[in-house]
Amino acid sequence: MAKAELKIIGSSPARMGGIDRVVGKGVYGIDLMLKDQLHGAILRSQYAHAKIVSIDTSEAKKIPGVHAVVTADDAPNVRYGRSYIDRHILARGKVRFMGDPVAAVAADTPAIAKQALKKIKVVYEPLPVAIDPEEATKPDAPTLHDDMPLPKTIPADGKLKNICGHAVVHVGDADKAMAEADLVVDEVYETKMIHPQYLEPRIAAAQMEPNGRLTVWANAQAPFPVRQETAKMLGLPLNNVRVISAGLGGGFGGKGSGITSGGAVEPICGLLAIKAKRPVMIVLDKAEETISTTIRAGARMYIKTGVKKDGTIVARTGKVFYDAGGYSGFGVQAGGRCTNMLGGWYLIPNCHIEGYTVYTNKQVCGPVRGPGGPQAAFAVESHMDSIAAKLGMDPTEFRLKNTPKAGDKIVGVAKLRDVSLGETIRIAKENIGWGKAKLEKNQGIGIATGSWIESAGPGGGAIVKVNEDGSVTVHIGKIDMGTIPGFGIPMIVAEELGIPVSDVTVLNVDTDASPWDAGTVGSRGILVSGGASRLAAIDARNQLFKMAAGKLEASPDDLEIIDKQIRVKGTPAKSVPLATVATDAHNVIGEVIGRGYCDNLQLVAEEKAHGSSQPFTTHACIVEVDTMTGNVKILKYVAVHDIGQPIHRAAAEGQIEGAAAMSIGQALCEQVVFDKDGRTMNPSFVDYLMPTINMMPRIETTLVEGYPGAGPYGAKGAGEIACVPPMACIANAIFNATGVRIKTLPLSPENVLRALKEAGKA
Amino acid sequence: MSVTINTIINGKAVSASADASTSLLEFIRDTLEMKGSKLCCNTGECGACTVIYNGKPINTCVTMAADANGAEIITIEGLADGDKLHPVQQAFVDTGAVQCGYCTPGFIMSVKALLDRTKKPTAEDIEEAVSGNICRCTGYNKIVDAIHLAADRIAGRA
Amino acid sequence: MEYFEPKTVGDALSLLAKHGAEAKVIAGGTDVMVDIKFKEEPGSLVNIKKIPGLTGIKDNGASLRIGALTTIRELETSALLRDKLPVLWESAHQFASLQVRNTATIGGNICRASPSGETLTPLLVLDAKAILAFSDGERSEPFSTFFQGPGKSAAGAKGLLTEIEVPIPPAGSKGVYLKHAVRGAMDIAMVGVAVMLTPDAGKNTIQDVRIGLGAVAPTPLRAPKTEALLRGKSLTAALVKEAGLLAASEASPISDQRSSAENRRWIVEALTRRGLEQTWKAATGKEVA
Repeated sequence: MAKAELKIIGSSPARMGGIDRVVGKGVYGIDLMLKDQLHGAILRSQYAHAKIVSIDTSEAKKIPGVHAVVTADDAPNVRYGRSYIDRHILARGKVRFMGDPVAAVAADTPAIAKQALKKIKVVYEPLPVAIDPEEATKPDAPTLHDDMPLPKTIPADGKLKNICGHAVVHVGDADKAMAEADLVVDEVYETKMIHPQYLEPRIAAAQMEPNGRLTVWANAQAPFPVRQETAKMLGLPLNNVRVISAGLGGGFGGKGSGITSGGAVEPICGLLAIKAKRPVMIVLDKAEETISTTIRAGARMYIKTGVKKDGTIVARTGKVFYDAGGYSGFGVQAGGRCTNMLGGWYLIPNCHIEGYTVYTNKQVCGPVRGPGGPQAAFAVESHMDSIAAKLGMDPTEFRLKNTPKAGDKIVGVAKLRDVSLGETIRIAKENIGWGKAKLEKNQGIGIATGSWIESAGPGGGAIVKVNEDGSVTVHIGKIDMGTIPGFGIPMIVAEELGIPVSDVTVLNVDTDASPWDAGTVGSRGILVSGGASRLAAIDARNQLFKMAAGKLEASPDDLEIIDKQIRVKGTPAKSVPLATVATDAHNVIGEVIGRGYCDNLQLVAEEKAHGSSQPFTTHACIVEVDTMTGNVKILKYVAVHDIGQPIHRAAAEGQIEGAAAMSIGQALCEQVVFDKDGRTMNPSFVDYLMPTINMMPRIETTLVEGYPGAGPYGAKGAGEIACVPPMACIANAIFNATGVRIKTLPLSPENVLRALKEAGKA
Repeated sequence: MSVTINTIINGKAVSASADASTSLLEFIRDTLEMKGSKLCCNTGECGACTVIYNGKPINTCVTMAADANGAEIITIEGLADGDKLHPVQQAFVDTGAVQCGYCTPGFIMSVKALLDRTKKPTAEDIEEAVSGNICRCTGYNKIVDAIHLAADRIAGRA
Repeated sequence: MEYFEPKTVGDALSLLAKHGAEAKVIAGGTDVMVDIKFKEEPGSLVNIKKIPGLTGIKDNGASLRIGALTTIRELETSALLRDKLPVLWESAHQFASLQVRNTATIGGNICRASPSGETLTPLLVLDAKAILAFSDGERSEPFSTFFQGPGKSAAGAKGLLTEIEVPIPPAGSKGVYLKHAVRGAMDIAMVGVAVMLTPDAGKNTIQDVRIGLGAVAPTPLRAPKTEALLRGKSLTAALVKEAGLLAASEASPISDQRSSAENRRWIVEALTRRGLEQTWKAATGKEVA
């Protein structure tokens, strides 16, 4: 469909479900109340690393009002995991981080559940603790998983241990090219652990139905993987497990990918429900979440680049130590992505980067919003800025000099079809006033670019049912998070079927009825479910046209739907109501059901043939540094994004603003702080600090168009990419303001002040 | 120990018992089963549980339910007039300030209280009113837009 | 948990005498409710908000008397307080969030006796007094001796703070409260510095100066050596620098999840300097020489 003909795509209709949310009727998992439900609670490890000598639940079981107390022995001896299958439903034999679930109870009230947890006697034999990912790879570090083999690409010669992921990027001959460079810059950057801190706590609710099926409600991003893993952990066949999406208040990847990253709350809840023979609901506390659920990992990144005098990059080498936590979780994938992206999205003809994903006695890495990307970008974009400074070159000119063009190859991508990177840099410069803005003392300007690849993965389906009155019900497997069920899908279906957006209802995900889907993750909502819904709507439209063609004595190819009327193009008088044809279907094909599927293999093949058109971005900001206290204030912030054809403009902007805010938080105030024993020192919101409104600048967003992506109408994913540049953007502005480059996050007042003092500037 | 709480919620007299340790948030959500006010940090650090209490926005998670005896409380459920949204609610919908929506009830109550205090809020007024409300989804930009739009509509400027 | 709503100070004191260490007093609840939910329910909870006569700000001419149950928001919106005791007003203005200010009380903030309590350093530099009721009578305790350790105060387990008495500073005095935090909203102070400066009649020298430091010792405290260094002198850049360093040495901060001790000393130095420069300029009209 030519762009000029799009009637709905690109506009901003009201969010589906928006009214519910503003009147307090939005139903979230935490609002569920099952009849006769018991309250579940989880006992977590008190040591970051220890053997479990014994667990005695007898006292807890005696408490009146306690209906079940479970440990690992109450479930099948089966493990779960994403790449390494290394984790039990409840800890078996060993605990590997404080927060590792050890036992669980179901009781009449939360108070009784709390009492019961206190009465469970666990005897631990503490073991030495590994906190730093690089230190944890050394031979004398404690071993976290005795029975997990090293990745095959790592020699089993005892020099490295505790590694669950190994990624290598190798292009050309980096050592040779580096030796021939005019200037070599060698640096190390570090980011810290962040918790996604969605506002709605994670819940699970479960009940055994009279017919022996287990129903689970989860405010998870991926109901089908939850079903898969819950069935596996409890030894149930898939047809006897039903997962209903409970609506979530924020996820950001922390409620993603079923339980492999989330700490098994759903199977634990199911286990309790089975043992107690009553429905059970577990509601995690936010402080409990910080210590036990999935996080954005910290990373230490060594990065070295060789350049010619004129600024041409000739070589890059690097090493990444990516902190998986006590179990592999999503660490292997995220660490791999970080390693890839350390090669950057510029032209780098010779490159060798090795990345290790490492077990440490801390919270487990999950697919948190752009996993691996923000970490790599902090290193890459600070490093690029640092090289420019040493060359005496304008940072934007240095980047533009090494920006790829259509047809070029960059690390991690076979071939680029078109490249918006340069245009985003130019627009960001314009919008921030690069070279023009008047900066006062201690003010600085900074810029950082980024990219993101919508994660490869399985596709997903969509079903579009046309009801007798011409309204439409849509089934997809992605839950309402991001821009898709609430914004994009109704618009796409309405666009293809010529009906108002308000006539489209996207249903809640129920694994009994919805098409299979990997979940709302990886910026793939628009690509997968948007693409599938569009095909399903077209399929439904074709069925309607086939039936209407006879009535209208025309060919199906000559028909169109305008204002709920199916009519002959050019002859509006020849028309029949959409509702009539939909009702007629009862006697012809049963009903109008359109099916669509986003074929990921096809997408990959097309990308291989024509090149990837991935999204690019540039952010720029002006900051002011208080050189006496280290406080940093952002005075102006611009975000320029290529997201292909925006489907819902305001929703796309909202994703960019929100993702940028999250990384501004990681830049300025967020981190999970540990003591030497691996105890989290700031679990609650008192000391885990997220940005408040007074800290946040207006994010001036510009959407660059003209670079269509692989999604419907040329859309690209928008949910994660804005997380990528902000940390380096702010660090670069601080450098510009003070001459001091800070290489370890966060850019908190203390860290900034310390850096200034060490440089003699305060 | 149980206490009886007699309070007025959204214009209706309510009488119910709860344990003395019950917070006002627990009373509203669990005893009265009104789920519109949200549970998040439970420590008074995020504003998701904000209601208007004797005219003032407060965090119900750190307020005793027992203190609500004789109080007049407005929750998110009490703002709309039948099907007609309150201007603050409508503005949040219209500017795209609602993403996941979990912070939304708390924000709307803080904003309604603000616009009861002043018809033309300055940037400082807005910061004061909602710097105790955390949003994790929007980066606040469209929320600020909604506050200005609601203020303009209420004052007849839009 | 037993629960009581005494209607008089006397009844409250009887309850505290009877239940001793098992009893906890609750006012606004913004601290105590968190204790109840996340630590332990006390044996008895004594809710003092039904006791009349403990709210409000009274102008006694030479001092203001503030009821212990006055909310922080009531302080913040009091034109009288802003006019007469701006440094105390400033701490109320920077306190937590609006929602918390609407229920938290100054008495609660004081009796919590947290080293970082927002109103505490202003009360120290204002030489304010706590009016305490005990079973055997009432007495006043200057805030300089009221705070005895984190969570420990002269009120003890059996006393009740009913009022605070805050003398109006001498004419021409200027005070600031400077809070160091990350976000500028909702945060607990990493360091708090209150400075009250009174110029001499000719506005040439410092007749009196009081410096209060918060979150850098087991209690909020004054910086007497720094005060002595400054009294009688005219403020110069060199003196400001020296005072900052000396104030930092009078603090005994710890390292915790919010800040290292080293950083706290740096901030004491920075905010003391800033506070002196600002109050000197406000009091004398002059920039620091």
